[in-house]
Amino acid sequence: MVPVLDRPRIQLLIVISRRLIEGLLTAWAAVTLTFFALRIAGGDPVANLLSQGLATVEQAAALRQQLGLDRSLGSQYLVFLGNLLHGHFGQSLYTARPVGRIIFEQLPYTMALAISGLLIALVLGFSLGVLAAWRDRRLDGKTASFIANVSTALPVAFTGILILYLALRISIATGQPMASPGFFLPSIVLGIASMGPIGRVVQSGLRESLQSEYILAARARGIRNGFRLLWHAIRPALPPVISLVALEAAYLFSGTVVTETVFSRPGLGRLLVKSILEGDFPIAQALVVLAALFYTFSHILADLAAILLDPRRRRSG
Amino acid sequence: MKYGLTLAPSGLDPHLNASAELGIPLSSVYDTLVFRDPDSGDVIPGLAESWKVSPDGLIYSFQLRSDVHFHDGTAFDADAVRENIAYVTDPDNHSQKAASLLGPLAEVSVLGPYQVAFQLSEPYAPLLDSLSQVYLGMASPSALRQWGPAEYQFHQVGTGPYKFIEYIPNEHIVLERNEDYNWGPSIYTHRQATIDRIEFRFFENEATRSIALESGQVDVIGEVPFREAERLASSSRFVLVPVPIPGQPMQFFLNTKRAPTDDPLVRQALTLAVNRPGIVETLFGSTSPPAFGPLSAALFEPLLPETHPEYDPAQASQLLEQAGWIDLDGDGIREKNGQDLKLVLVTPTWGANPEAAQLIDVSWEILGANVEVVTAPAFGPLKELQASGEYHAIGLNFFGTDPDLLRPSFTSDGYYNWSQIDDPELDQRLTAAANETNDTAARTALYQSTIERINTSYLVLPVRDYINLVVARSDLTGLRFSLQGWFPFLIDLEFSS
Repeated sequence: MVPVLDRPRIQLLIVISRRLIEGLLTAWAAVTLTFFALRIAGGDPVANLLSQGLATVEQAAALRQQLGLDRSLGSQYLVFLGNLLHGHFGQSLYTARPVGRIIFEQLPYTMALAISGLLIALVLGFSLGVLAAWRDRRLDGKTASFIANVSTALPVAFTGILILYLALRISIATGQPMASPGFFLPSIVLGIASMGPIGRVVQSGLRESLQSEYILAARARGIRNGFRLLWHAIRPALPPVISLVALEAAYLFSGTVVTETVFSRPGLGRLLVKSILEGDFPIAQALVVLAALFYTFSHILADLAAILLDPRRRRSG
Repeated sequence: MKYGLTLAPSGLDPHLNASAELGIPLSSVYDTLVFRDPDSGDVIPGLAESWKVSPDGLIYSFQLRSDVHFHDGTAFDADAVRENIAYVTDPDNHSQKAASLLGPLAEVSVLGPYQVAFQLSEPYAPLLDSLSQVYLGMASPSALRQWGPAEYQFHQVGTGPYKFIEYIPNEHIVLERNEDYNWGPSIYTHRQATIDRIEFRFFENEATRSIALESGQVDVIGEVPFREAERLASSSRFVLVPVPIPGQPMQFFLNTKRAPTDDPLVRQALTLAVNRPGIVETLFGSTSPPAFGPLSAALFEPLLPETHPEYDPAQASQLLEQAGWIDLDGDGIREKNGQDLKLVLVTPTWGANPEAAQLIDVSWEILGANVEVVTAPAFGPLKELQASGEYHAIGLNFFGTDPDLLRPSFTSDGYYNWSQIDDPELDQRLTAAANETNDTAARTALYQSTIERINTSYLVLPVRDYINLVVARSDLTGLRFSLQGWFPFLIDLEFSS
């Protein structure tokens, strides 16, 4: 018999372990799908490897055998899963380098960009959302809401090129050569892309709670201070925002392909696209496993945060 | 100085990887045993002072320079050559290009400290051209041993005018001047590089290349889209250097095994129906020449026939009628024995292939065919579509500086025989030409008759010779390129200001 006091903690454990199992299953499904999809749709990796050479049929056959690609798809899959369970991602077909090392070399670039992009998105998204909900009948509120909607709709490729072009104009006007656009510009592009959805969720949550009875009651009790009122109103609006931020974070971390390409930056997104196009399966598979695990992890964190913010969830599980 | 590259290679070891992009920096990190003069095409001495070919064409012996050392201080000698070739041919190292370049190489033997012999199992005329390429550039054997195939790409050591300093994938490659260099080939104008340090960065997105140049992020960049290139060149700040890339033109193989393109009359009609100069003008302005044979006019002009079929839609239509394809029901599509004239055109997504395929599609629709255009996003899927055999035309081309480039594409057992041709005459001529090591005139004659036969059998629809549009700051002088076209002689670059 579990003491009543421990129940919330157990509920928490159940939630986390359920999420973990779901996550592992998702990762397995994702990697299995990737494995077969890449091999069926991606074409022959040996043809890819020799696509610049003047290889003969014999050379192609020898390379296929060397890479173990002459075995049946089923047995290749079993070997791959077995290695994965031991933490081995295998080697790149192009360079024979361990896939883990290739990924960890590119990871810091994507991390830095994702974190700064997310921070920008949070600051701008919250500001827009609060403004849009708090002053929803006035011009500034309407403008904030409009900006959030537009930024949700704009594709990253478009804002990317636009911002690069503006930077070029500024560099020509000021006579300063543009240093490599490295970090600042792409962070802004990512920030703009993610601020829209965050702003909209903040706005709708806040609008709802501003009309709720407890806020009316608080007003009736004479709480006039805007910031105190806002603090009360925003707490119940937070859980969906946190789930969204977790999703956005996972999206940013698992690769920001377009931004990386437009700004010629290294990173996981470009690595993923390149490895898929070139048929470097081991890299693509490892990235998919990592992305699936990352999604799982950020969802668990979001659940935990939601539970901590809303005591009712602790009781109901 | 900053040099803009267009593709970030998946691997940077020229002995193991195959991308053309890697040669832009690395051609100046390595010297090769021989070089080729970009103006005459002649093979000239490099790390080898002289060489002899045995009368049977099976043994190439090289006398090496004795005054050369690698960037790490290791002396260059016959053993270094042997170790380099062993590294390239080791099956565990999975060489993607260099190993194929060596053809039927059997053994490399060291005859003396500075004498080395390449023993072949059959005569192989392209060998000297192969040895002039960066993929067979000479690397320090101690560095190869120290780092091994996986990590050597980050620690490359050659004998060239520039030293390899740093490579961060997708970020940059850094080279610095080799102050000891004084053994350059006669095609280099300078004996020593002038520019101390060159950084290469990658601009994979076409739209960002001119921005990179205009904003001063790079001083020179290749593969600029033609409208952008013309716009930039109209300003006094930049110069446009169009560089022809020898090899196969942009081309579509016509499938000889599948109806209706198995009928030579149909292949001829499909060729005459396409206005190649028009397509090239539309897609590339005045920057590229239309192609009329299976090899580019750049470098291979003497091998190409003087006349070629002109655009002639009326004759194309007649040929189809002669072949029995007539539009009886007036729906705009020709039929024969109750079957519509249906064509599947497969195009790769890279280069301007999809745009060219669209314009070819229109020409064939006007001719009375029902055309389905299928695109392949990468080489793997392209090969997959090809292997299915369910196509009538498919786009593919390779670059190269030896006409043996034709062999994999037009022999019955060729790995890239995508017109599915099985012609003993072509097999015999292409093999004989590859084996002809001593008589250059006989080799030329063999290629002339081969190309004539490929053209009159309408095995490919050539579209356009490739021109790489390089744009540079106008105060950058000495921008010249190797015979392969892609690779600049970095040693000769200077800023005039």
